Amino acid sequence: MALLRPSSRTRRHGAGADGSRMWAWFMLPGTLWMTGFLIASLVLVAVLAVGTTDELGNPRFGFDLAGVRALTDPAYTEVLARSLGYALLTCLICLLIAYPVAYTIALYGGRYKNALIAAIVVPFFANYLVRMYGWSVVLSDDGPVLRALRAIGLADGDTKILNTGPGVVAGLVYGFVVFMIIPLYAALERLDVSLIEAGRDLYGGPVRTFLFVTLPATRQGAAAGLVLVFLPAMGDFVSAQLMGGPDQIMIGNLIQDKFFQGQNWPLGSALTMLLMLVLLIGMFGYLRRTRKDEAEARR
Amino acid sequence: MSPAPPTPPSRRALLRAGAGGLLGATAAGCGFMPAARPDAKALAPVRARVDGDLVYFNWADYVDPSVFRGFEKEYGVKVIQSNFDSMEGMVAKLNAGNRYDIVFPTAKWAQRLVRGGRLRRIDHSQLTNSPAVFGTYSYFADPWYDPGSAHTVPFTAYKTGIGWRRDRIGELTGSWKDLWSDKARGKVFLLDDRDEVLGMGALELGLPVSTGDTGELGRITALLSTLRPRLRGFSSDSYNNLLNGNALITQAWSGDMAAMLNQADDPSVFGFQAPKEGTPINSDCYAIPWNAPHPGTAMLFIDYMLRPENVKKNIEYIGYPMPVAGSEKVYADLVEPFPECLVTADDLKADLFFRNGGRAAEDARDSAWTHVKAG
Repeated sequence: MALLRPSSRTRRHGAGADGSRMWAWFMLPGTLWMTGFLIASLVLVAVLAVGTTDELGNPRFGFDLAGVRALTDPAYTEVLARSLGYALLTCLICLLIAYPVAYTIALYGGRYKNALIAAIVVPFFANYLVRMYGWSVVLSDDGPVLRALRAIGLADGDTKILNTGPGVVAGLVYGFVVFMIIPLYAALERLDVSLIEAGRDLYGGPVRTFLFVTLPATRQGAAAGLVLVFLPAMGDFVSAQLMGGPDQIMIGNLIQDKFFQGQNWPLGSALTMLLMLVLLIGMFGYLRRTRKDEAEARR
Repeated sequence: MSPAPPTPPSRRALLRAGAGGLLGATAAGCGFMPAARPDAKALAPVRARVDGDLVYFNWADYVDPSVFRGFEKEYGVKVIQSNFDSMEGMVAKLNAGNRYDIVFPTAKWAQRLVRGGRLRRIDHSQLTNSPAVFGTYSYFADPWYDPGSAHTVPFTAYKTGIGWRRDRIGELTGSWKDLWSDKARGKVFLLDDRDEVLGMGALELGLPVSTGDTGELGRITALLSTLRPRLRGFSSDSYNNLLNGNALITQAWSGDMAAMLNQADDPSVFGFQAPKEGTPINSDCYAIPWNAPHPGTAMLFIDYMLRPENVKKNIEYIGYPMPVAGSEKVYADLVEPFPECLVTADDLKADLFFRNGGRAAEDARDSAWTHVKAG
């Protein structure tokens, strides 16, 4: 062992052909998995987007642009814009909720840090659908929340929480907020507290120190959290299904309909590709931004 | 100094791995190619005899578990159960080559499977209890979805009507127009189901329930757009919506309303009506896929399920009526508070089943549904 060490070190620094091959082998399982299940299914969806259906509604390969052409229907643009709005709003609210939580746990959690993080994460082991279904029962018109509010005079007979826009966004925030807390916590945990102290020593007030020291240092964590929340929120259909009404339909609901009730897989695939395109543009912006951040950090 | 980052594998290596993945994708994609048609032998009827354990594929909780136990005991076989949660999912599994002895498609899907040559023929003379079905319910002797019921035996039948809260909005007028009631404004639900919603509009306008005509669908969407502002949502969970007060009135399936009778403390606060303009009818059936490993046991199972005592158990367990002579009283007793849940011979004669349309008609219906739903 001891004999081997120097040589392996030089090899590493040299980053020669052997080292590269070893890392390539390490990447093989992941690459196979991703190509097999992600890229391949993506290709399948892309091909089906220009496919057709037979007389019995079963999807068939072929070349027919009817599905793609149907996307020009303004109904889809409207629903896509609504989904984008809901997802962005969800991101913002998650950020506002998650930052103080992550900050408190990371800086003041002491020896309870891990227990506190576990307390946040463990409820999310329960299936999202089940939790949302639970909420829809709790928040129903004759459910415990509204009955209690009515009893103390904070709500009248017409007040409703379910099947409203805020209801859907609340569902999305509840469903995905943990994806914001974890990366923020990781960033704040890594943060060198002496930086904050230095800020204070240089006569920065608590607000200025937070804005010019803490916040910039955790920007990458926030960016990661925003992406992790935005992507699933944009494609979600459970929240709108269980907490929304006719005016809160999201793009995920329409896609689901095309694959099930409509039996129109080509149009469903075309819609999926459109959604992917919107998300890709967002991801591209994010990658450019983080690359710029990294470049700045290196300077 | 930190160690240098590992060199990533070359782009070429990634491409090579990717190409392998694509090959796999193409192979998987073959599922969407027309499958080999089964030969005549695979579709020929078989005798009812034990030829192995029963591989059973159905909605969850759609048969009384004690009936399974009885069947296992009597014939010395095991029932290997799996469930689907949608017709689309069921057919996708069949098309992928999974083998089941017995499946339970709805009428529309039975027609697709029959036309696609996916079901084995069933010889009714092998089923000692089949006269109770075909003798009395002549509709099913030659249904539209399977001429001569050559590949299927009906299992349950149900209809679509209106469920409402009697205690909150009083009596209704017996029409689909009741969904527009001002007393229920803002607490109205429609089923989250394309055919049911478009069909309701069609019945109110006196049009065929499965219409694929663009002009007629335009009239239906125009009518439904007047209901939309009064609507709280699209949901197929009608009985929970009524129970927890979210809905004062909702489109509902008769079987769900019957099931609600078990859940409600006081059933008299609820009502179910079958509107006079017509009520869509649906049914599902027993069918044996062409590649079933044990079709003989499946035949025995169908016959066993049709025995009067088992029909009774199942009706009481699932709340859906079955077209089997002698079981009418069992169901009528069960849904005594909601007599309109009953599916009568007249209901069947009205024939308001949702049919499969051609490609153009299905696309037109799909687009109409998007406009009803997304506004």
